[in-house]
Amino acid sequence: MSLGGRWPFFLPLAILSLSLPVSAATVSGRIEDLPPAQVIKDDLGRPFPLPRATPERIVSMAPNITEILFALGLGDRIVGVTRFCDYPPETRSIPKIGGLVDPNIEIIESLDPDLVVAFRGNPLRLVDRVRKLGLPVFVLDIGKGLEALCPLIERIGRVTRTEHRAAGLAAGLRGRLEAADSALRGSLLRPKVFILLYGQGLWTCGGESYVNDLVGRAGGTNIASALPKKWALYKREQIIKDDPDVIFILARSAGDFAAGRDRLLRMPGIENVSAAKSGRIFELDENAASRFGPRLVDVLGRMAALLHPDHFGDPS
Amino acid sequence: MTRKTGRRVFWAVSLFLCLAGFVISLLTGPVKTTPGDFLRFVQSPDRVHEAIFIDLRLSRAVLAFLVGAALALSGAILQGYFRNPMADPFVVGVSSGASLGAVLATALGFEAAAFGFSGPGLMAFLSGLGIVSLVYALSLRRGGFKLETILLTGIAAGALASALTTFFLFMRSDSYDQAVFWLLGSFQLAEWGQVATIAPWVALCLFASIWLARDMDLLALGDETAQALGSPVRRVRKAFLAMSALLAALSVAVSGVIGFVGLVVPHWVRILIGPSHRSLFVSSALAGGTFLLYCDLLARNLLPAELPIGVITAAVGAPFFLYLLHKKR
Repeated sequence: MSLGGRWPFFLPLAILSLSLPVSAATVSGRIEDLPPAQVIKDDLGRPFPLPRATPERIVSMAPNITEILFALGLGDRIVGVTRFCDYPPETRSIPKIGGLVDPNIEIIESLDPDLVVAFRGNPLRLVDRVRKLGLPVFVLDIGKGLEALCPLIERIGRVTRTEHRAAGLAAGLRGRLEAADSALRGSLLRPKVFILLYGQGLWTCGGESYVNDLVGRAGGTNIASALPKKWALYKREQIIKDDPDVIFILARSAGDFAAGRDRLLRMPGIENVSAAKSGRIFELDENAASRFGPRLVDVLGRMAALLHPDHFGDPS
Repeated sequence: MTRKTGRRVFWAVSLFLCLAGFVISLLTGPVKTTPGDFLRFVQSPDRVHEAIFIDLRLSRAVLAFLVGAALALSGAILQGYFRNPMADPFVVGVSSGASLGAVLATALGFEAAAFGFSGPGLMAFLSGLGIVSLVYALSLRRGGFKLETILLTGIAAGALASALTTFFLFMRSDSYDQAVFWLLGSFQLAEWGQVATIAPWVALCLFASIWLARDMDLLALGDETAQALGSPVRRVRKAFLAMSALLAALSVAVSGVIGFVGLVVPHWVRILIGPSHRSLFVSSALAGGTFLLYCDLLARNLLPAELPIGVITAAVGAPFFLYLLHKKR
């Protein structure tokens, strides 16, 4: 038995130099019979073979992707969605692949998709494992502000070969955004806004959240915009000090909204805040506001109208 | 029951359970499949069933078996090495060191895959071996070679690595699912590439440990006695330490830290078939692989969402271990 004198030090090097080349070999070629129109890159820089025609079996790995696919008229081609995908209501009858962070690879494979649309929030390791099965996976990065919405829609349109419909949808949304901008032009007033997420504690949207961008475009100032986070816990004393003119509560139902408003108003000191005194506490649809999809423009419209009733007319 | 028939019964039962485990692994999962589906697939393979049966389920079962075998063998070696029943890959710091490497790689965005490992997997492997080398070097300098020094240095280094790991995970609160993967283990991402990467090393270490088993038996009598009986004690010790570290680091690199297998499986085997190291090593590998195969079955089928496998190994392993321990008395 003669072993070298420095085993523990020598081993890692030995193994690296022996490096087994088997690892990458097992991916079987699949992806449709037709050769791809061209190979483009997804938002992570991974190559993606662009199909020649609109895919017929699409798996969506996020609620906002599902929503955009439906808006592009592809609803009947979606074969799998996450358990959080609930808009539009037709999604309820589509098979579920699991959640955002725990999608099930085996179920995705069993749906035999010809396109899997994922986003940056899905665990990358799982997404890559799906890609290694030979399925065409496109990963989307979701931008910070509202200006990323139309490019996202156009990107999904490109991948699903519905470029025209996507361009039309994006143009419509851009038009509505510009209309809101021009309606607010000349308005010097920028009411201070506090966003409350319905639930335990005073959770709000910080400067990193696109909701912050929504408030700005709707002609308001988010009092929590200085917090460098997407979601943040706000302090009661800070709300009293900032004295917001308007409070929006993101709620799933009118009942939740009423409960959230009453709980907020019961907190000592809050009754003296401007928004409470003037009664400008409003509901926003949590479902629409929490998905980075076309309905954000609806939310923006409602927000702008509530912040500047003189420019838009009273929506309620 | 004599020891020899006991050993035969152990082997027959283990092999049967192992084969049954593979069959069950092939046929169960979130997608419903029947034995009929499998037979139809064997007769006329189609792409979807090939992906599900071969690429996903079989590779996962084989990987779980290999990692279980590696961890149990590593534990059996270390318990002999330290002449201490509490020893497992955690005491020399391999497991903690490897998970630190993986978490650091994730935090630094080191994703590039190489040598059949993912980026974090490769870092896990290197830092696992690195920390053992460090522990060994530190222990050597304290005059000669004392087992307690390695043991204590290893525990201290492991604790430090665990603290750093928790710190980095805490700083990156968005990587929760990564944290669970590296700290509690999972075979969710198993693929044939990983099997091909670790299988040769597990086989090599198993054969080498069988070859050196006699020397390990002698070590049980004390280092001086073993030396007097003609065993090259220092070299044997180095070889065993290197093998146990290699096995544990490989395991962490492909599946995260999975506790309890390395500690408990060698004890089960020792209770059932006795302390001779040659059969202990082989049987531990078989029993460890089979054990982890069943634990993974539970991890992926117990709930709609996958459970981390570390939860299962401890929850299933501990009560069974206690039962065997008390039955023996």
